[in-house]
Amino acid sequence: MKKIFLLSLMSAFLFVACKKDKDETEESNPGVTNPSSEYKLIEKDTTDNDLIVELYAENETLEMGYTPVYVKVENLNGDLVENAMVSFMPMMDMGMMQHTTPTVQPIYNSTSGYYEGVIVFVMSSSQGAWDIEIMVDGEAATMDLNVLGAPAGEKHVGSYVGTNGDSYFVSIVKPLDWSVGMNDVSFMVHKRESMMSFPVVEGLTIAMDPQMTSMGHGSPNNISPVSVGDGFYEGEVNFTMTGDWRLNLDLIDAGDTIVNANIDVLF
Amino acid sequence: MKNLILLGLFLFALGSVFSQEDTLRAPQNFTEIIIQGQSKESKDKTAEQLQESTDKLMSTIPAVTLIKRGNFALEPTIRGLNAGQITTTIDGMQMFGACTDRMDPISSYIEPTNLEKIQLNTSPNAEQTGSTVGGGINFSLMKAQLNAPKKMSGKLGAGYQTNANNIQTLGTFQYSTKRWALLVNGIYRKADNYFAADRREILFSQFEKWNAGANLVVALDDHNRISLDYIQDEGYDIGYPALTMDVAFAKAYISAFTHTYKNKSRKLRSIESKFYFNYIDHAMDDTKRPAEMVPMHMDMPGTSRTFGMYSKAKYVVNPNHMLNFQINAFQNDLHAEMTMYPDTGSEMYMLTIPDGQRRTYGLTVSDAWLINYKLKATFGGRIEMNQSDITTEFGRQTLTSFYVGEAAQSRFSGNVFAQMNYKLSKKVWFYGGLNYAQRPPSLQEVYGFYLFNRLDNHDYLGNPDIENESSISGNLGANLKYEKFAISMEVFANSFSNYIIGIVLPEYSNMTIGADGVKQFDNIESALLVGGELTLKWDPIEVLTVQSVNSYTYGTDEVGGYLPYIPPFKSVNFIKYHYKGWGLRLEYVGALAQNNVSTARYGEGTTPAFNLLNVAVQKRFDLKNDKSLHAEFGIDNIFDTPYYEHLDVLKIQRQGLNFVFRTTFVF
Repeated sequence: MKKIFLLSLMSAFLFVACKKDKDETEESNPGVTNPSSEYKLIEKDTTDNDLIVELYAENETLEMGYTPVYVKVENLNGDLVENAMVSFMPMMDMGMMQHTTPTVQPIYNSTSGYYEGVIVFVMSSSQGAWDIEIMVDGEAATMDLNVLGAPAGEKHVGSYVGTNGDSYFVSIVKPLDWSVGMNDVSFMVHKRESMMSFPVVEGLTIAMDPQMTSMGHGSPNNISPVSVGDGFYEGEVNFTMTGDWRLNLDLIDAGDTIVNANIDVLF
Repeated sequence: MKNLILLGLFLFALGSVFSQEDTLRAPQNFTEIIIQGQSKESKDKTAEQLQESTDKLMSTIPAVTLIKRGNFALEPTIRGLNAGQITTTIDGMQMFGACTDRMDPISSYIEPTNLEKIQLNTSPNAEQTGSTVGGGINFSLMKAQLNAPKKMSGKLGAGYQTNANNIQTLGTFQYSTKRWALLVNGIYRKADNYFAADRREILFSQFEKWNAGANLVVALDDHNRISLDYIQDEGYDIGYPALTMDVAFAKAYISAFTHTYKNKSRKLRSIESKFYFNYIDHAMDDTKRPAEMVPMHMDMPGTSRTFGMYSKAKYVVNPNHMLNFQINAFQNDLHAEMTMYPDTGSEMYMLTIPDGQRRTYGLTVSDAWLINYKLKATFGGRIEMNQSDITTEFGRQTLTSFYVGEAAQSRFSGNVFAQMNYKLSKKVWFYGGLNYAQRPPSLQEVYGFYLFNRLDNHDYLGNPDIENESSISGNLGANLKYEKFAISMEVFANSFSNYIIGIVLPEYSNMTIGADGVKQFDNIESALLVGGELTLKWDPIEVLTVQSVNSYTYGTDEVGGYLPYIPPFKSVNFIKYHYKGWGLRLEYVGALAQNNVSTARYGEGTTPAFNLLNVAVQKRFDLKNDKSLHAEFGIDNIFDTPYYEHLDVLKIQRQGLNFVFRTTFVF
């Protein structure tokens, strides 16, 4: 009898041990960095110098906001073209006017074989027609793009007119991979100089205040993002629970709050 | 009906001179309430007490006061100490409530039908199976009796109380042979909303529950026995008028396997080993509340799982020394979650106890030493290791919200105790004791995440860096027992360092809608509790008994402010006339006002004094073959006095006038 009980106790211990193992395997497989083979093809085009240019993204569809994109260049034999001169220029055609959007120009990654850059889509295709011109060694490939809005209840980029009259664009850096608790978070800030130029804004101070809007509470211990160069701002955000979170971001320049931005996320 | 409880407090005074058996007896600061005694005289009392609630029985023990949140599941405190400061065990088994709002103290999963007795220790000693700074309550389970006078015996009872339309039916049945015996028991209780004075209905105070237990005892030989226990307790639709939510269900499954060895002729007198497992499944519910009372619908389920063992041995070194050894180990896993459903927007999910786990290993050694025929010393100590951790990734992530560092931690705690008893004469005893004790913070106090406390309307955060709470305590007592008159009195002082309490975090925003802010469990430098109990018993003539139980506690924090959860002076008195199977009892219960509160710091308000009168008539009908029928009629709160007690959360009025009918058949 005693033995049976001991056995059941031991098996209970084993059960606990197994559970732990499972957690650890989950931990070692975070799924943050997608292998390059999992990039999804968005569009392709062939340039006049017979290069096949393919545009990839993390997902099959493009969404408003910060969007990492991957350009693959092959010749007609299917060989990868490395270290070409690659740049891109997305354009929004709203009929009355045309403008570009903030970008991080592509840089070749010899490990993945892709030219990796970022496009911050500040509008969706419902507001006009998006296309992109990708220049490879002086020749252009052109593609139409379909950009969806953010998922319901979310907002990943916002445009604001600052108190100084300039237009600012604040976007949250993706991929978004949230868990309850403390999370690394980064943002990009751009401004519009002209329809064709959206340079980064560095050196601002940002005050961040996350709010759970449906309950009216915030969270403690957040670290407001600080400028780390190239228009990026890095901080830490504390999500005490899952649900709809609004990140209130005050952009402060020389002591004056010039923009009250907000980003909405849901997880 | 109400407490015709002959306090076990006097039992120790029965012996007139120390004998060897005295070494075997528990030290002072030990009170027992016998619920189902094996002796014949206790039959009336048993029939009566089986019909009471566990809460009611606890409320009559000196030094015990209950925190009330509804008409069900009151939480015991001992001399101003509660929750993690005291140990609450069932037959020595550790068990921990699953509810984050403390709706389910483990006493709520036990019914008098399960119990042989309730044991109270007011200071650390060798009886407990955990670290404590304030003693503990143990619910000792009723065991089947081998070789009982009757092969088959039992009790059947039914009761009705008018105030809350409260019905209950219960039964116990025992089958006994020389080699084995089986005991089964069950109870069903259901109540609607109760009514305070002036027929003011207290909404959401209903409850329904059933409880069934079984115990099998098998004698392997003259010295070895095994015992199997199983209890299942399920409560449904339990209202908590003092809280924002009710309970959909609260279920407990309690099981134990016990082996006992006893041999009176050997130095190794006894070994008792128990292996146990218990599980609590608890779910809060706000769907019965009117919509305007519920700012947001939430689901808040929680579970608690504990398994463990203890082994206790008594070793008689020589007639003057008896050693007690105890090892124990247990593991508790707590999970509490919350899903919130806003009218607009997405649902939210969080862990409020982020899958905390604790493993405890302890060793207790004590010696009872008869120094001479007048003086006896009991001394010893306990060392305990606690390993706490969070077992899931989600839980560990949650902890990063308020703590930077490892979730896992190990702590040592323990106590040393010494108690002296001096017998001045056959009728007068004195005793005194000194203890140093430490207790680890509970899992809630380490890992809790926005636990809402209705008393001070704050959300509480755990604190992994919190220090063990420690105390130096002393007690002095005297017992006088004459033929017709007995007095028992004890005073105590308990001086704490690193007393654990919630400290406001001003920068934090509360999570609970409508709360006033956030507190974090933290240590304050010191706290002091002093007080005492006085019990008088007087039999002026043979058919008359007068008893008075009085308790008082006074508590201050490190700045001299008053501590919360400190009961004021309370007195429970009765006079009973008993003659030829008839009993007439008049009971007076009263408490002084509690004005010693720190409203700003702890959120407590003052409480006025109250005086209550209860009366009951009992009659025993003796039937053939040693069977009997017990009938009872009582009136509680005769004058329909409006009142509440100081530890009642939200100061919701207690029950007004109530008529009680009970009948128990004993066979």
